[in-house]
Amino acid sequence: MLSAIFEQIVNGIVSGSVYAIVAVGMTMIFGVLRAINFAHGEYYMLGTFGAWFAIEYFDLPYPIAIVIGVIATSIIAVVVGKFVMQRIVGAPPETGVLATLGIALVLQNTVILIFGGGYKFFSGGYIEPVSIFGFTLAEQRVLIIIVCILVFVGLELMVTYSRMGKAMRAVSQNIECCAVVGIDVPQVALRTFILGACLAALSGVLTAPVNVSVYGGMGEIITFKTLPVIIMGGLGNVRGTFFAAMILGIAESLVATYVGLQFRDTVGFATLMLVLMWRPHGLFSAQARF
Amino acid sequence: MSPNDLSLSARRRDLRLPFGAALAAAACLAPLFLGNYALHAIIIALIFLLPAHGLNLLVGYTGLLSLAQAAFFGIGAYTSGLMAVRFGTPFYLNFLAAGVLAGAIALPLGIPALRLRATSFVMCTLGFVIIGQAIAKNWISLTRGDMGLSGIPKPYFALGPASFTISGTTSFYYLVLVIAVIGTLAAYLIVRSAAGRNMVAIRENETLAESVGIPTWRYKLVVFMISAAFAGLGGSIYAHYLTVVSPLTFQMYYSTTMLIIVLGGGAGTISGVVFGSLLFVGLSEALRVAPEVRMIAYGLCLLALVFWFPKGFAPLIDRFWSFLGERK
Amino acid sequence: MTGLPILEISGLNKSYGAVRAVDDVSLHVNRGEICGLIGPNGSGKSTFFDCATGLSKPNAGTVKLDGQDITGWSLNRIAREGRMLRSFQKTVVFSALDVEENLVIAGQMFTFPGLWSTFGIGAMARTRVEALRERAREFIKIAGLWDVRHQPAGKLSGGQQKLIQFASMLMPEPKLILLDEPMAGINPKLIERVVESIRFANQKFGVSFLVIEHNIDVVTDICERIVVLDQGRKLAEGTPDEIVRNQAVREAYLGG
Repeated sequence: MLSAIFEQIVNGIVSGSVYAIVAVGMTMIFGVLRAINFAHGEYYMLGTFGAWFAIEYFDLPYPIAIVIGVIATSIIAVVVGKFVMQRIVGAPPETGVLATLGIALVLQNTVILIFGGGYKFFSGGYIEPVSIFGFTLAEQRVLIIIVCILVFVGLELMVTYSRMGKAMRAVSQNIECCAVVGIDVPQVALRTFILGACLAALSGVLTAPVNVSVYGGMGEIITFKTLPVIIMGGLGNVRGTFFAAMILGIAESLVATYVGLQFRDTVGFATLMLVLMWRPHGLFSAQARF
Repeated sequence: MSPNDLSLSARRRDLRLPFGAALAAAACLAPLFLGNYALHAIIIALIFLLPAHGLNLLVGYTGLLSLAQAAFFGIGAYTSGLMAVRFGTPFYLNFLAAGVLAGAIALPLGIPALRLRATSFVMCTLGFVIIGQAIAKNWISLTRGDMGLSGIPKPYFALGPASFTISGTTSFYYLVLVIAVIGTLAAYLIVRSAAGRNMVAIRENETLAESVGIPTWRYKLVVFMISAAFAGLGGSIYAHYLTVVSPLTFQMYYSTTMLIIVLGGGAGTISGVVFGSLLFVGLSEALRVAPEVRMIAYGLCLLALVFWFPKGFAPLIDRFWSFLGERK
Repeated sequence: MTGLPILEISGLNKSYGAVRAVDDVSLHVNRGEICGLIGPNGSGKSTFFDCATGLSKPNAGTVKLDGQDITGWSLNRIAREGRMLRSFQKTVVFSALDVEENLVIAGQMFTFPGLWSTFGIGAMARTRVEALRERAREFIKIAGLWDVRHQPAGKLSGGQQKLIQFASMLMPEPKLILLDEPMAGINPKLIERVVESIRFANQKFGVSFLVIEHNIDVVTDICERIVVLDQGRKLAEGTPDEIVRNQAVREAYLGG
């Protein structure tokens, strides 16, 4: 019984890692651009499709497919970033919501138009089981957890020591002063956005072997799961997002096993709604402003 | 006044009334020269018109961006469908019940939601749609889950001994037309009332509105409820037209469509919303545009609206209308 | 100017964390009086205003308006039921609406008995709005804004917007108006105009005033009584002459 629960928790940590990698990108984008990226899940989908395409049409090995998936997404991210995301900086919140909604619609439906809406089979990945601490786990799942740890350690280092990281912190804390100090805010915004989108793509490519099915609409669910994570982790808060993601992953796993699979995907948003409706002031302050 | 002046003023004719009359005539006589499919497109456009009016009151007039219309649309659809299927009640009862229930549910939802700041409020409204779909899928005893309700009877009216059923596209068209006209009139009256002015005040500057005695929070709640009721009414007609209701009625797609109608047509104007509905929904339905292409178009429209055309088609409609009034 | 003060504030306290922005301040405004509130920057004047008018919640203290306890009332309730209005330092108007609409809105909640009545479309509602429009047009004429009355308020000059703001506050026949630095940012020629408007409202409509202002000349000119705040506490109170000669006041302004 205990080992069963533990197994679910480990599964939850795997899902949590997936969410964490996606969510950290979204929360950083919020920190710098002050915009909720409703299209974030689409980059997850694009990365997955890029990798799938590489494997299906060019018969490339999985590691190369990972790279291709991320690069393909980054190219799209550059275009979206330059033409849309940079303009969101400094705009009222509605602008970000509507613009990223628009991007999501375009990306999602273009993919469906080109590749068809049906489910595709993802054939790459390390799905051989491996034994760790007496547990049998697909290799891919272990890989996901490892990558997640690497990503967060890397981000922690980048934000603390690199010039880019410090610039990102500066912009997210006080955007008005940045231009005065000589920080190129649009450039920081663009790079943060591309980084976030690539992380989402990476998460997608790594998860594809586990989920197996790839389809154009898969990004939307990811967006809907990531939103609660970044809000409850604290918008712009990288560490908080990590923990919120893990908690969501584990909660989903436990709910799926002990309450019902059909409720799994609602756990995140349901929890978010409870938090928003019951403790709104704990998250945002209400002030009269002109 | 010299004779020259008289002849000048005789040449300036106000074409607005004739234009309006022609439009009304065209609307009434449409089934005579439009095929069933074109009528179907207009019906769909008019069904979406009511929820769009509701959203317009919220977004265009009070300044509150909400994605929740789909949730109340779905509530209205299920309410109407369930009543028709389970109790066999006449259409006007189902219709009213849908609006009343949607508006009523908006009260306990709106009270906590409206305390949130703009971004969280948007997210909360999105949550209503997601949770709504989850409830529709899982409350199987009520909604039959994923199977949904099917075989919703055609709208029928019973007044004492007399009763008649709306069957056929043409009769449905007239039903929806009447409802749409009444709904548009209602929206227009709300907007022209003192309350409508107060809503605009809240949108322009909430604190200033408060300082002149406007209870802004209560207004937002009332408008949220009215908006939900409009959406519920639209959902009711939708259910009876499609004869099928499923959890897929609770989808972002509907909220997004209504948003496009309002923002693209011209938020904060009544004619803009009517125009937007006919253009974005009616036209794309009539052209049998593939759903993916339509959504891409919507996405591009949103981007264009946000960055270049914040007022949508409203300025063009305004210019056209004054052009009609000054024609020589 | 006898009888119950129109505004009576006792023991007002407002802290932000460890900072005492307003420290046990009591003041009153007599009926029909123009009272000034001055003090160096950071002395807590704006915070005091915000607490008195319901924009902020004070930590302690009571606010009585015309004998009624309005402590804790919201901004809109104080305006609507209490008939105490306030201006804002930064002149604000409803930018997209024209001058007449701005004034009509400013008066609406005072003629309509409640929220639901504002949705009315009958004769009663129309009569009310017509009366408001009449009143608005009178103010527009007095303010010299007749020619621009159909222009969106956002397009008018700062001085014109200030007049709109002032006229808005007179639409509801208020008992008391709190002005937050009315002379801030206007060019000197308009100052006389604003002073006249304040006197006009005070004498013709019997409106009492509490004015925050930095311009000492204006304050000593129009105010019958002045209260001085320094570092959140009431430092002095008296007639303009007394205040100007008060040693502690001079030090507060000139010293630290």
